[in-house]
Amino acid sequence: MISTRFVLKRLLLLVPVLVGVASLVFAILHLSPGDPALTIAGERASEEFVQQVRESLGLNDPIWVQYGRFLVDAAQFEFGESFIIQRNTPVSEVLTNKLPVTLELAIYGQLIGISLGIPLGILSAVKQDSFTDHTTRIGALAGISVPIFWSGPLLILLFAQVLGWLPTSGRISVLYNVEAIRVTGLVTVDTLLAGEWEMFISAARHMILPATVIGIYSMALISRMMRSSMLEVIRQDYMRTARAKGQGAKITVLKHGFRNAMIPVITVIGIQFGGLLGGAVLTETVFAIGGIGTLLVEAIKVGDYPIVQGTVLTFAFLFTLVNLGVDITYSILDPRIEQ
Amino acid sequence: MSTAPEHPPDERPPLTERATVRLHLVGTALVVGVGVAVVALVGSALFGDVTAAVDTTFALGSLVFGFGLLGWSGAVALGRGIEAMQDHLDTRTGWTEPDARRAMTRILGFGLGVMVGTMLVGSVVFGSIF
Amino acid sequence: MSTDTKTTTQTTVDANQRSLIDRFTASPFVSRLLSNRLALAGIAIIVAMVLIAIYARLFVDLEVITQSQLGTNPNRAAPSLEFPFGTDGQARDLVPRVAYGAWYAMLFGTVTVAASTTLGVSLGIIAAYYSDVTDNVIMRTMDVLLAFPSLLLALALVAIFPDDLGLWRAVAALTLVYTPRFARVVRGAALTVLENEYIDATVALGAADPRVLARHVLPNCLAPITVQSTLNFGLAIIDLAALSFLGFGAEAGTPSWGLMLSNGVSQGLLTGVWWWSFFPGFFLALTVLGFNLLGDGMRDALDPRMREAVD
Repeated sequence: MISTRFVLKRLLLLVPVLVGVASLVFAILHLSPGDPALTIAGERASEEFVQQVRESLGLNDPIWVQYGRFLVDAAQFEFGESFIIQRNTPVSEVLTNKLPVTLELAIYGQLIGISLGIPLGILSAVKQDSFTDHTTRIGALAGISVPIFWSGPLLILLFAQVLGWLPTSGRISVLYNVEAIRVTGLVTVDTLLAGEWEMFISAARHMILPATVIGIYSMALISRMMRSSMLEVIRQDYMRTARAKGQGAKITVLKHGFRNAMIPVITVIGIQFGGLLGGAVLTETVFAIGGIGTLLVEAIKVGDYPIVQGTVLTFAFLFTLVNLGVDITYSILDPRIEQ
Repeated sequence: MSTAPEHPPDERPPLTERATVRLHLVGTALVVGVGVAVVALVGSALFGDVTAAVDTTFALGSLVFGFGLLGWSGAVALGRGIEAMQDHLDTRTGWTEPDARRAMTRILGFGLGVMVGTMLVGSVVFGSIF
Repeated sequence: MSTDTKTTTQTTVDANQRSLIDRFTASPFVSRLLSNRLALAGIAIIVAMVLIAIYARLFVDLEVITQSQLGTNPNRAAPSLEFPFGTDGQARDLVPRVAYGAWYAMLFGTVTVAASTTLGVSLGIIAAYYSDVTDNVIMRTMDVLLAFPSLLLALALVAIFPDDLGLWRAVAALTLVYTPRFARVVRGAALTVLENEYIDATVALGAADPRVLARHVLPNCLAPITVQSTLNFGLAIIDLAALSFLGFGAEAGTPSWGLMLSNGVSQGLLTGVWWWSFFPGFFLALTVLGFNLLGDGMRDALDPRMREAVD
């Protein structure tokens, strides 16, 4: 149904995306104050040593040579070693450890957003201008008015401290050693793969609050989009005809409307994945989950440039891949559109 | 490399013609970029530290170039999605994918021009040619 | 807006003589807005916050609430009659600190929104008026900026500015992040105005570009600009707090809501000192809700043709 050519063309787009992002990162690092050689050597290092570090980093070469080298390294996802955060550890290793953490958070958050946002949007559209519709819309507005760094603490307070139902922070109880059974790095998957049921329960319970906090944001946008898209489909002629033929209104809506209404919603899910990564930065901080979001913030603060470069390029890579997936789903739902 | 057709397949202009149009867009912007870089660097040579100016100008050029390249691929990859989203969220701005790609081609051409111009001037200043 | 603008053209002389207040209350935009209960609630919240902010600025001694009060006040005291919001990890009374936070939110929020409005309006009007290549390059650049997740873009920009700027660094980064929204709104609105034939007539009579823009285009774009500024104010308050929360804003000790939340969450929440983060967060969320309610109401009160431009 989808031609390999289409997928290949889309994959090829990764090249300009990554070159573009790499150029931006290169520019920002060169424009920002602070000398990486000084950061590595330390404030009190001798001038001679700083010079040595500068030479070894290639900072004495003309800037276009540095740029070319940077692009070549970035193409191989080779960013050297972390300066400060995990001294002398290759960036790729740091990222492999931290990436699954954020990925897991984003996946569950998006699942919650989709599974709540779509039904709410449909409900809002089918019962347009009813009490339900208004409640849903005001709820969504309230949902985006409350910042993650307050809703997170509130949920911790209520569910973890007052009610005692869920753990306060982290990814899994400290009693368990997840590293021993690490396969994918996603704790909920690894624990299942290892057949450790109790560990899985612990990991899932830790995931509920952060995923909800991050999911509320997606939900607000998805439900709004679903409502508008559904309303448009319902108003179309063929829907009226179908209803006139005597089928129940609900069945008509589900049968004919849903598939068509989903098309624009799916693209929005892809586009706002970037926002989700932004939300992950805050959520990880609130729940003390060390993923690449907190890693990026830390790296910017202390000036660990290799980590900054690696993280940003990983973000861009993920975003492009997600949108490739969206594109493919899109062509399955609506084959006419394939190019 | 561009994949999205601006016209329905049967009335697409021939490949060579499309290539010429694109080259023209990039080329003009590139020349402007080189000019701007040369003027800026010669100006800074009269007033201060050229080495620092070369670094900054090149970095700015790569900023613009990266931005344009990212925007171009974004337009190609997400164009349809953005058009759909604007339709449904009440924010019709007349955004179209071909327009966006054309604008981004100009921007990335200009950025590239600044980078090339800096390289030219810089090579002269540093007395070596890379 | 179409009916509005036509009336304005026919009665340009009258309109200039009528007082501003008359024109304000007579406008259908304002009357529609004032009949919206949620928007009125938003206005009430905002007015209350502004009053708190002014009170704090005038009567609270910043010096006192920034310094540690260990030894003077009980440390981490739960809310009581003496300390209605409790005290924090340095025994500081949270009431004046939260109140002063309102001043910071309003002050830095206003600066951010004002700066991005000015930049965005200039770019938007230039784009609309000169159309073609200029328009395309400006607006498509704005689109790319808009496509970045705002917090990630702000983080990247914050890295460029020197860190001794404190909260001003966050203000500068966010100004650039928000500019595209204003450019877009203004361009949309300005194009609607420019489509009206009377502008063509003015241009034909030889009026210089800047005069046409200032006299005819800008005044008619004021409503959508105001709506966008209001919606953006809420966002600015959240994002400024978020940057402080992540450690890119206010210096340690500053009574900004974001920083209080950050300290409250990292040092107090897990040991049961919930009030330390609860009250700053509550006032922050309430203020943002106020601006969102008002902004949403204003958006609904706008003429449909202008509404399309505001997001």
